[in-house]
Amino acid sequence: MGRWLLAACACTAVLWGQEFKLGSQVGDFGVQDLHGNAVQYSSLKGNVTVVVFIATQCPVSNAYNERMKALYSDYTPKGVKFVFLNANRTEPAAEVARHAQEHGFPFPVYKDDGNLVADRFGATATPESFVMDQTGAIRYHGSIDDSQVIQRVTTQRLRNALDAVLAGRAVEQPETKAFGCSIKRVGKTS
Amino acid sequence: MTRRLVLLQVAALAAVFAQPAGLIPLDEAGFPKLIASGKGRVLLVDFWATWCAPCRAEMPQLVALDSRYRSRGLKLIAISADEPEQEAGALEFLRKHNVALPGYIKRPRDDDRFINSIDPKWSGQLPALFLYDRQGAKARSFFGETDLSAIEAALRKLL
Repeated sequence: MGRWLLAACACTAVLWGQEFKLGSQVGDFGVQDLHGNAVQYSSLKGNVTVVVFIATQCPVSNAYNERMKALYSDYTPKGVKFVFLNANRTEPAAEVARHAQEHGFPFPVYKDDGNLVADRFGATATPESFVMDQTGAIRYHGSIDDSQVIQRVTTQRLRNALDAVLAGRAVEQPETKAFGCSIKRVGKTS
Repeated sequence: MTRRLVLLQVAALAAVFAQPAGLIPLDEAGFPKLIASGKGRVLLVDFWATWCAPCRAEMPQLVALDSRYRSRGLKLIAISADEPEQEAGALEFLRKHNVALPGYIKRPRDDDRFINSIDPKWSGQLPALFLYDRQGAKARSFFGETDLSAIEAALRKLL
């Protein structure tokens, strides 16, 4: 009975899948570039790494396109690596490539086919960001800032987290709500 | 007969004018009061926004559920997560889809706290639906795209 209960619990954990939590180490995982080639996270990460789940059709994610470009250009010179991921089953690689080109993204976007990586991070929204520190542990999880309308932003959540991690300080607000569109997962109807 | 018709028209007009002109703002204190005021009914609380395509797509189905089960005690409450610039559009959408008014709009002082107070597991993503039983206790949460049959099955258990 106990064994069955344990198996059921393990099964539930696999089904819900969140493996990487705040403070925990992020293990390696695979994504796909927009030509369908497999790419490992270990080849993309840096000393400090940001993983951001984004979308092509989500107006909230799109409201952050320019802010993501600014983050990339401001923090790449500081040694931060960015991994932008699209986990939506409704947005194929060709659409993601077109969207990236239309918006002049200076960074590559990868596909998370089958939302396996989103499941491991427990990511549910776009945009949703995670900051990994020099040890590979998640130090920040949540939104990029506190308003999809740039004029109403009062707290630069992701920037504050990055500044803290880069300076070796504790992140003041390590977890925030990643408001936005739901990630369109496989096996879910629209 | 004519007098009765006039009276009915006056009553209908009065009902129209009794509705607030816009959406009712809800903050951290207002939400629990809204849920408490619905005690005795099963509440299906729908957080949606005009920018959320799946939210717009499922609204007619939620309205259909509301009409099917209203006599048995169901009440649909639509709470928009739109920005102030989209409030008029949100109200227009609710009217167009015959959503029972008044409609509400999320206006907390601290959005993260507001979201956590409803369900700590909710990231704030839309769509998000919450079912409350007749005692005002949260019975189920549905995040993202959800099969309407699952929502119907859950609410039938509460009715």
